[in-house]
Amino acid sequence: MRAPIGFRISNRRKSLRISQAALARLVGISPSYLNLIENNKRDVGGALLNRIAAQLSIDIDDLAGRAEQKLLQDLEEAFADPMLESLPFQPDERREIVAQYPASAAALARLHRAYAAARSNADAFADRLRSDPLLSQLLHQVLSGITAIRSSAEILADVPDLGEAERARFVAAISREAVGLTDVARNLIGQFDVSSQYQRGISPAREIDDMIIERQNYFPALETVAESLRAEVDRAGPFGVATLTDLLAGRFGVRIHVGGPAPEPGYPGHYRFDARQRSMWFHGATTLATRQFQLARLFSELVARDAVEHELAASHIETATARRLAARALGSYLAGAIVLPYDRVLADAERCRYDIDYLRQHYNASFEQVAHRLVTLRRPGAEGVPFGFLRSDPAGRLTKHFPLPGLLLPNSGHACPLWAIYGAFRQPDMIVRQAVRFSDGSRYLFIARTTQRRPAAFREPMVPSSVMLACDVLHADRTVYGVGLDLTDHSADVLVGPSCRLCTRHDCPARQEEALSPAGTVPGLRGPLVAAQRPLGEPA
Amino acid sequence: MAIDILIAEDEPSILESLDFILSRAGWTISSVSDGEAALVAVKRLQPRMLVLDVMLPRRSGFDVLKQLRSEAATRTLPVLILTAKGQQQDRRIAEELGADGFVTKPYANAEVVGAVRDLLGDDAGAA
Repeated sequence: MRAPIGFRISNRRKSLRISQAALARLVGISPSYLNLIENNKRDVGGALLNRIAAQLSIDIDDLAGRAEQKLLQDLEEAFADPMLESLPFQPDERREIVAQYPASAAALARLHRAYAAARSNADAFADRLRSDPLLSQLLHQVLSGITAIRSSAEILADVPDLGEAERARFVAAISREAVGLTDVARNLIGQFDVSSQYQRGISPAREIDDMIIERQNYFPALETVAESLRAEVDRAGPFGVATLTDLLAGRFGVRIHVGGPAPEPGYPGHYRFDARQRSMWFHGATTLATRQFQLARLFSELVARDAVEHELAASHIETATARRLAARALGSYLAGAIVLPYDRVLADAERCRYDIDYLRQHYNASFEQVAHRLVTLRRPGAEGVPFGFLRSDPAGRLTKHFPLPGLLLPNSGHACPLWAIYGAFRQPDMIVRQAVRFSDGSRYLFIARTTQRRPAAFREPMVPSSVMLACDVLHADRTVYGVGLDLTDHSADVLVGPSCRLCTRHDCPARQEEALSPAGTVPGLRGPLVAAQRPLGEPA
Repeated sequence: MAIDILIAEDEPSILESLDFILSRAGWTISSVSDGEAALVAVKRLQPRMLVLDVMLPRRSGFDVLKQLRSEAATRTLPVLILTAKGQQQDRRIAEELGADGFVTKPYANAEVVGAVRDLLGDDAGAA
């Protein structure tokens, strides 16, 4: 079987005329182990893969076959569907499909994604029909109208000695009700017309994820635009809310209002730009970091709207919702690049060892804004420490994710309950860090912290989110977060997986869900106390 | 002055037809079009039975029924419920609250007359 990584390592090594023994020595493993890796008898990832890539002077993405890894992950997710549970998969089947028949693998992944989206759409529709107040009201009106018409019509038909006045009355009633029903029918049909625009296979969030992953979260064109916009602001004064305010007022006649009533009663957002009135409103409780960021965004949208449009056009995003969300994401990217200019941030980050709190203070930015920016420091030749990024809501739902090559983050839904991203909710506003190890041996440093908006009223529920950065343990000593953790002591690692469904740690005490592959279920766990007689043919 | 039937229904056309067919069947009728008025009218007019629509403004039909059943004077007042949407659910609730009969919209006029006759007995005069 042609193995993606092993084959490439072997190929590259031979083309550089390095012997297996020599390479093995350089990366600190035995030649026989390297041989197993090259024949794909052992997985390789994390720090070891980094060292091999370094020794072979090859980009880690090329070596790891990033596209194939993504495909493999997508396939894993598809095959984790409960409906495929009882199928007798071979041990390495998914990896083989990806290696031998990449197009079919892609087809399977795509089909599953479409099916999952369709299923969730159907659920959403059913819910909507059941509970939509407008539909329910319209249906009631239909029933009333028909009841009245039927009753009146029966009277006209069945009562032999109906007086003229009475006949006229009931005929009028029928007329009246029929007109009313016509309106209701139009309304009802209109409702369904709107709903039917909901087709599409993929959720908008997923579409945007794909776009960002494809571009590896680095948009050189936007970076260039950001540089020139930042230079413009710098020319007008020291960078900050005051200068941005003056600039916006001077060039565009935009006035900023902080505090006071919202532009519309009940408006749930914390800021809003009114193009007609040329006024930008901020909720009184917004932080300085938020105001600075949004003013930078406003500036970029007024000056350089084409930049984002151009990127959107280059992407494959089609649905209106996805375009709107993508425009916002790219606009945020641009704003982030203005507030946190690339070269300066990279230099400062290296100097302060990626201390996010230091960078926050220095740039008047929020934790999430800085974390975001660190992930995007991927200019070829001038990269920062490679980070992955995840954000979760308190329900455990992942709402934003930028992957790290080699670290397979779940695409959607939830992740392993042991991850720091969830632990952070238990220690709000404090940075929580952990060294984790996946079952393939790869090790990462996870850094997580909750973030939240300040509430506007006593009754407004505070919904924090949790943001997590992840980097290979190999890079952890370049960060301040690796200090104090003994990263060389593997026994201190927290043993984790991507999510219970996909995780192969059958003996994990924190397991919440059955794994895809039932093989290796620990006796005594997750079943009755007295083991049932196992029928023939069931896997051990 | 006691009347035979009090109708609580807010749709005017439906009310008109109900009034017509029940009067025609020989019963004396009075009507109200919201829940609060229904409770007041039951006390004042002391009807022999109540035809009660579920969807009423001010207080829902179920609310009215619950209130009536909680007072000694009206605990045994025969109540006919007119249900509309979500039929299983409404029927179950009406039963639990102590309704004596139901008719589901849209109905045939004969159904209503029949149901009333069941609750009042035959002594209302010929149809």
